[in-house]
Amino acid sequence: MSKAEKINIVPCSGIGKAFGSVSRLAAYYITEDDHPSDSKLVPLALLVLGDKDTNETVLANPSITIDGCKLQCARKMIGECGGHIAKDLVVLDVYREHPDMKPSGVAELNEAGEKLARALADKVDSIIDQSLGKNGGSKNA
Amino acid sequence: MPELPPKKVGIVTCSGEELPEGTVTRLAALRVLEQLRPKETVTICLPLFLAGGEGDRAFAKFYPTIAIDGCEKRCAYYGTAKHSNEPAASLIITDLVKKHGLAKPEGLRKLNESGRQVVEIAANEMAAQVDSLLGKSWNRSKGQLDQSNDNDQVEEATAITCSCGSGIPIQKVVIKGQEITFIGLPLIFATFQEQKKEPSDKTLDEIMEMVKIYNRIEPIDEPDVRPGIQKEYEEYFRKNGK
Repeated sequence: MSKAEKINIVPCSGIGKAFGSVSRLAAYYITEDDHPSDSKLVPLALLVLGDKDTNETVLANPSITIDGCKLQCARKMIGECGGHIAKDLVVLDVYREHPDMKPSGVAELNEAGEKLARALADKVDSIIDQSLGKNGGSKNA
Repeated sequence: MPELPPKKVGIVTCSGEELPEGTVTRLAALRVLEQLRPKETVTICLPLFLAGGEGDRAFAKFYPTIAIDGCEKRCAYYGTAKHSNEPAASLIITDLVKKHGLAKPEGLRKLNESGRQVVEIAANEMAAQVDSLLGKSWNRSKGQLDQSNDNDQVEEATAITCSCGSGIPIQKVVIKGQEITFIGLPLIFATFQEQKKEPSDKTLDEIMEMVKIYNRIEPIDEPDVRPGIQKEYEEYFRKNGK
């Protein structure tokens, strides 16, 4: 992967399922706690609207998409905008790696869901470090 | 009658992940969908209007929709209007905060007191809008409220919280060399086939009456539409047995 200055983190906007909440929480872990200065949260709603600044951000930096379900809105939207997808992740795939972390709750995730979000964030952190040419792993909260 | 989705109100949130007001939209919508009006409401993720199929894009035409936005950019409202259909009602969180003299909501993951207050206010306003919209007649072929107050559609006590991926069943039919999308056609065909109604002029008349409930067909276009629908139903009836 080529070196980048900043990475876009694009969670899905899932509202009806716990996996969507996991994708969002993982994105917050990454952009607020782990990589606040070298990652940027990109909301899909602005891309739906065709917001110029958001489109430019997507074109300027590689994106890591985190989708809550198989419909993969985040991956498709970044693709539609012509952005470069450094990695596309689906929460269900990460859950398969951690079957003990079964998420439930949408408005408020259960503890297992929060752990799954953390595991997902760790995975993304490693990709960001690699992409930015940094050594070391994630910076757990 | 075909078992098409019952009369409900669609809720579309901006979900704006980068703003606390976006979190407010999500939590307020969930409060309505799960607690206040679970049987009367349904939702869809906003990006599905672009990332999904035509069935998803038919959502706001099929259901009268409330768009709930975090800020004045109104992504949910304009996104829905642009890619699906004009929402029947809307709410903007920053307006509600101002109107009720609340402090700015804070906390993307966990809202502050002001954020929690506006969640309740927005949820209650939405519930009132749902009641109001259900009391009016929604024309699914035009995708707008009827002028009259007749409400002849039957509600069904089935809770559907998330419509992602389920979409509205659609079918494309070639009419005079042009591909036209018809909402609900697969279910209409299925119902007529189950009733063992063989393709005929009489059956076609009945099918067309049903098709026109869910699709806008100008009288001048109907003679062109009928042969296309007839052909598709003959094909459907042949494939699915008699």
